[in-house]
Amino acid sequence: MDWLDRLSVAAIAGLALITISMLTNHEMHKKRQDDPASAGKEAGRAYSLQVEADKKLYQQVAAFREQGRYADAMAKLEDMIERYPDKSLSYVYLGQVLLKQGKLGAAIHNYRRAVEMDSDYVDKRTPRFMGDAIKTVVEEGREKFAREKALRPKDKDVQRALKDVYYLQRRLAGGCE
Amino acid sequence: MKAIRMIDVSIVTGAVLGFGGVLLAYLGNPANSGICVSCFMENIAGALQLHDNVRMSYLRPELMGFVLGSFLIAFGTGRFRVRGGSSPVLRFFVGFFIIVGCAVFIGCPIKMFLRLAAGDLTAVAATLGLIFGIWVGVRYIKEGFALGGVKEVPKIQGFLMPLLALVLLVFLFVHPSFIRLGQKGPAALHAPLLVSLFAGLVIGALAQRSGLCVTGAIRNFILAREKTLLNGLLTAFFVAVVFSLLLGQFNLGMNAQPASHLSHGWTFLAMAMVGLGSVLIDGCPFRQLIKAGQGDVDAGMASLGMLMGGALVFLWFLGSTSAGPTFQGKVGVLTGLIFSVAAAIAFRKRARRSP
Repeated sequence: MDWLDRLSVAAIAGLALITISMLTNHEMHKKRQDDPASAGKEAGRAYSLQVEADKKLYQQVAAFREQGRYADAMAKLEDMIERYPDKSLSYVYLGQVLLKQGKLGAAIHNYRRAVEMDSDYVDKRTPRFMGDAIKTVVEEGREKFAREKALRPKDKDVQRALKDVYYLQRRLAGGCE
Repeated sequence: MKAIRMIDVSIVTGAVLGFGGVLLAYLGNPANSGICVSCFMENIAGALQLHDNVRMSYLRPELMGFVLGSFLIAFGTGRFRVRGGSSPVLRFFVGFFIIVGCAVFIGCPIKMFLRLAAGDLTAVAATLGLIFGIWVGVRYIKEGFALGGVKEVPKIQGFLMPLLALVLLVFLFVHPSFIRLGQKGPAALHAPLLVSLFAGLVIGALAQRSGLCVTGAIRNFILAREKTLLNGLLTAFFVAVVFSLLLGQFNLGMNAQPASHLSHGWTFLAMAMVGLGSVLIDGCPFRQLIKAGQGDVDAGMASLGMLMGGALVFLWFLGSTSAGPTFQGKVGVLTGLIFSVAAAIAFRKRARRSP
């Protein structure tokens, strides 16, 4: 090593030391500012507030559903979908109302739309999780539509319903998605 | 004697890979994804905020373990040879397209075998596609394809990828604010950190010694009926089947399979592209990481291409969901095939015909 090499190594060591100290200092300062525990709590609070706000937003739909006024619930949901097209909860309620009306295929299709829009419905780690309810409906649908397919193998509606069932089964199975 | 020893190392590597793949999923990694280089690349890209899907953002220690395990064993046994200069940019893009192909299938070649071993029959089309792609690649090799031009390069270059792996590992432990680790979805599913790291290091070290590679195993068999690596691969598969059954992770069928879809034609094409691309750059995604660890600078470039693929797959919607491949994913596969075939013919050395 000649003098230039030695100088370069010393410069690298000095710069590395400064960089590491700066980074450590910055991170420690940042961690003090936004403590991960409180950040987590904050995120959880925001999520809960959102869930509460959604509950209020869909209060009337839920009431119609409980009173058996399915036509009113459907009309209200159609209006909600038009006003808030990004709200996946509309499709969950739509699925529930359709299920009450005995329209299993349509109900499953709407559950699928909800899950496609928001994976939290099949994620056990989130408060929105409703995988068990979806699983029950999917199991029922799988048996029903498998029977119907055997009777009417070319029926497009049955094929579509089975596709929805299989999609939800795959999502419920987990994996990298 | 040497051949027997090589077979032994290959078989041991296969057994550890198969066992590790099932065990890591059992201990917390996403279902059927105990080891998946492409999924984990996507996770790492997300953790570095190269894409915005927080559900797929996590620094997977297994990948860092592969590179560092390979580096440590190669360095310790005098096999750390720093070479490069063989079409690095081309390898970068092939690496990128390989990840696109994997994203359309939803898994790398190792995960393909793990999915098969867990009874997922949708991986059959992928296996056929991969074999077909490798067969096409072998045809090009027989007809004069070679990237060539490998030479010794300054040693410092060989340390860069292991250093990157080490830095990522430090980030995982220190968790600086610019690293994003998702708290839900697949990102939140992981085996205990030290177990994952240990598995990665052991598999990386063994793979460096044996040269185990999914596409290399099939290529060697098609090209020269050479079975050393194939024995390792088959061992990995059978060990994974046995442990999937023992640990209750076996579910035979097409439906209700985690992270899968029923677009078999696109699965076939996607994995054909992965097979062909892997033959062109001499190794599957897993092998690229192992080679990067042992000083292969070109494999390092391919690995960086894979990292870019892991980011753009989400930003450009180049993969698949449970509903099937996206339009962009289909275009990505076709573009990857065009690119791979063009590269194959561009690098063919044709025999001169006598006048």
